[in-house]
Order: sequence, then C-alpha cells, then structure tokens
Amino acid sequence: MKSNIPSFLLSKPQQHETGASGEASRTSFIDHGIERFAAFIRTTYTQWETADRDGLFQRLDARIKVLFLLFFIVIVSVKKTLMPEAAIGVFIFILAVLSRLSLIAFYGRVFFFGFIFGFLIALPSCLNIITKGEVVIPIVHLSKAYRFWIYQIPETIGITRQGIEGVAQLTLRVINSLSLSFLIIYTTRFSEIVRALKGLRVPDTFLMIITLSYKYIFIFAKIIEDIHLAKKSRIVEVDAAETRVWVAGRMASLLRKTRSRCEEVFNAMLARGFSGDVVLYTHGKMGTKDFMAGSLLFIAGLLFIIL
Amino acid sequence: MHIPDGYLSPQTYAPLWGVSLLFWSVALRKMKKELSTKQIPYLAMAAAFSFLIQMFNIPIPGGTTGHAVGAGIIAILLGPWTAVIAVSVVLIIQSVVFGDGGITAIGANCFNMAVAIPFVSYWVFKLINRKSIKGARVYVAAFFAGHIGLSTGAIVTAMELGIQPLIARGADGRSLYAPYPLSIAVPVMALEHFLLFSIIEGMVTFLLLKYFLKYESDQIYAISVKEA
Repeated sequence: MKSNIPSFLLSKPQQHETGASGEASRTSFIDHGIERFAAFIRTTYTQWETADRDGLFQRLDARIKVLFLLFFIVIVSVKKTLMPEAAIGVFIFILAVLSRLSLIAFYGRVFFFGFIFGFLIALPSCLNIITKGEVVIPIVHLSKAYRFWIYQIPETIGITRQGIEGVAQLTLRVINSLSLSFLIIYTTRFSEIVRALKGLRVPDTFLMIITLSYKYIFIFAKIIEDIHLAKKSRIVEVDAAETRVWVAGRMASLLRKTRSRCEEVFNAMLARGFSGDVVLYTHGKMGTKDFMAGSLLFIAGLLFIIL
Repeated sequence: MHIPDGYLSPQTYAPLWGVSLLFWSVALRKMKKELSTKQIPYLAMAAAFSFLIQMFNIPIPGGTTGHAVGAGIIAILLGPWTAVIAVSVVLIIQSVVFGDGGITAIGANCFNMAVAIPFVSYWVFKLINRKSIKGARVYVAAFFAGHIGLSTGAIVTAMELGIQPLIARGADGRSLYAPYPLSIAVPVMALEHFLLFSIIEGMVTFLLLKYFLKYESDQIYAISVKEA
C-alpha cells in the first residue's frame, strides 16, 4: 500500500560527528533531541494517515472502538494460558487486515515494543534461579548449590519448562495489548477518542486538559526542534558542563513560552465566550452497523473469556 | 519506569486505578479552587511542559546522554497537585498514543510517577531547603528532591512488580504476571535509579531551579507558597 507520508519523515537523520576520533559525538545530545522530535512527528503523522483510510475499524463509531479496547485489554490481562492468548492475537490480526492497515508498519512497531518489554525483560526469568521447575535445558553445572541471604543458586543452572511458558505467556500478552492499543490509535483520530471518552463519563474538564495539552505538545515540539537546530548550526565543539546549563536555560525558556501561550489561549477563550463551564460536544447517535459490529465484537469477547 | 500491559495482575491494577482516580478528583477540585477559570489552559500548559521536558537530552559524565522525567521540578515550580494532573495527562497521552506504558497500568503508572514522585520531591525540597532562596542549601535541596523523588517512584514501581509472583501464580507455581520477586525487582530498580537515572533527575532539577532562582524566583511555587 502506497504511503502518503513525506519521504523526509521516513528517512533516518544523519549523524554529524564533530569531535575528534575516539571521543563520543559532542553534539550527540542535539542529534538525540532532533531524532526524538522526528520520531514523535513520524509516529503521530502515520497514525493520522491510517485513521483516514477506508477500513472496517475506521468506519466504526469511536465509542464502540474504545469500549472494544477496554473490554479486550482486560480479557487479555486475565487469560492464564497460551492458547487463548494466541487465538486473541489471530483475531486482532484479522481486524488489522480488515482495517487495511499496513501490516509491516503496524506489526513492526508492535513486535519491536513486544520484543523489548515482553521478551527481553522477561527472558532471564526462564532460568531456574527465578522460576523453579523442571529443567529442560541445563546451562551451567556448579560443584554445589549456594545460598546467600535470601538468594539461592542451584547446583545446575538451566532453563525450566515453566520459565519458558511464563516468558511466552508474558510476551504474547504484551504483544496482544500493544496490538489492541495500536489498532485503535491507527484507526481513530485522537480527537474522536477524546469525544468517545466523554460518552464514558470522563469529566469534560479532564478531557479538555488532555485535548489542549496534545495540541500544545505539537506547537512546542516544533519550537524545541528549532532550538536544537539553531544550536547545532552554531557550534563546532561543546563543553558538557556549559551544555547542561544551556539545556536548563532552554527548559526554563520553554516554561516561560508555555506560560505566555497559556495567557493568550485563555484570553482567546474569553473572547469566544468562555464562561468557565467546560462543555465538549459528544458524538451523534450510533448507526445500525455500529450496533451490529459492537454486538459481534462483544460476542467474540465472551467467547475468548470462555476459551 | 512505564509499566506495560501484562505485567500487573487485575488485583493490582484495579485498586491502583482507584487510588489514582481519587488523587485526580482531589487535584482537580484543588486546582479549580486555587486557579479559578484559568485552570484549564494552565494545567494543559503544565502537562505539555512535562511532556516536552523529556525531549531535552542532557550530556552526562561518561559520554552518554539522558533525559529527565521532570515530575519533581514541576512539583517544585508549579505545586504538587498541579504536577499530579500535568504528569498524569502526559502518561495517559504516552500510553494511548505512543504505547509507552499500558492502558490497564495507567492507574499504577500515574500513582508511581504522577503522585509519588511529585509529592516526595516537593516535601524533600521543603524539608531540606526550609525558607532559603540563596546559597548551597537550596541547590542541595533541589538535587535531592529530584533524586529521592525519582528513586521513590522506582522503588514503588519495583514493589508493585515484585509482589506479582506472590499474589498471582499458576497451577504449576510459575508467576502469571511480572516474573521477578521482590528480592530481585527492588534491588535492581533501586540500584539503577540511585546510581544513574536519579542523578540525572537531580541534576535537571538543580539546574532548572538555579536558572529560575536567578531570573524568575517569584515563579517558584515551593518557595513563594506558605503551607497552611
């Protein structure tokens, strides 16, 4: 599927080393700052683009999608065996295909986070030092078992069957939870999610704060990128201590800018008739197809609970 | 420190959702009382600042860079209750939009980073600094506010993860959620934060406060506001 994302957002930023060989890049903090900003914009731009496609989930009412997310994420969290988790994973895959998402981009992101937060972090727990059980792959044989305070090291250190199952279960659960979250965010605009939350009785004041901060973040992220680029274009070598002071100064200046923007926004709100009461517009009535899709998803959820 | 989905059992994440809801409602009520109708753009601004502070990388000794969480300095600059809302909003946006932290774990993450860190940082700062606005005392207070605040958040997170093998086990005895017991989760999280991340946090808190004391000392909540 052809992407409409501009190529400059997809290309990786080049690293410009300025220090002598053997020294860490002295401007790396600037490059990291710019990379962080670029990744932030790239992620949100991709989400906006896919949310406008004509797929199954894009056509559904946001309230159905938010309820589906909450219902399924709780189901994923209570499942205790591998088979139901795997079945839920297949179900989410089918929904992603029907929603015409780019599977490589979607699962690339899901598996990247799933690998780090699910697999890598949990991996050492498959050893019998942490998860006791039947050792299926012995790794090291010691002369005797050791005991140190509350820690025990067995004579044979190895991977246990229970440990492997635990890591697999946790990895699948993390992947399924991420898939569910990304399925919703890739098929729903952020503003629609906020409006759907209103239907779930989240206070208007809280939703207004979330909406405004989301917008502020974009405005000020651009300012931060400009600050970093301006610094990068002016420096040849940077002293780390000076840089720390510079960064603190930019953070403080950012707070000043956000404060003055806050005043402007409040004055603009007053000029448009804001009286202190926050009222967000909710969605209209749901259509028949939304009710049908909602019912089918609910039934699917019940089946997964029973499974 | 963002706990993903799948690491906490329902008997842990559900009560922590409840605790966070309680703090959010008290914070919103306090904000409304103190800030009148201006509270909405003000809190949104604080949340955006809390998010953006993480976009600044700081060179740290050893040739690497790191970024701060910023919850401690926000509590000192804007007050702990403002920090509760600001950091929570950031955590919710990070979780929903970027998959950084789980949705079931929003309550836990908000409790650890938006409640524990701001309050501990704020009170550590008040305790060490007393009423001084000059000299080494205020800088020491700022550093330890950031350091102890983040370390406390890390230890609370480790405890939530570490109790999982005790409260949620399968028939074969394996942990169904976070696999590491308290004896591993707490020392690992405590050490890596004490020796690295909390030092960065303390440094950011100290540098930012130094800047504000020099140019805008009247804007610092922890110094200008007298506790009842």
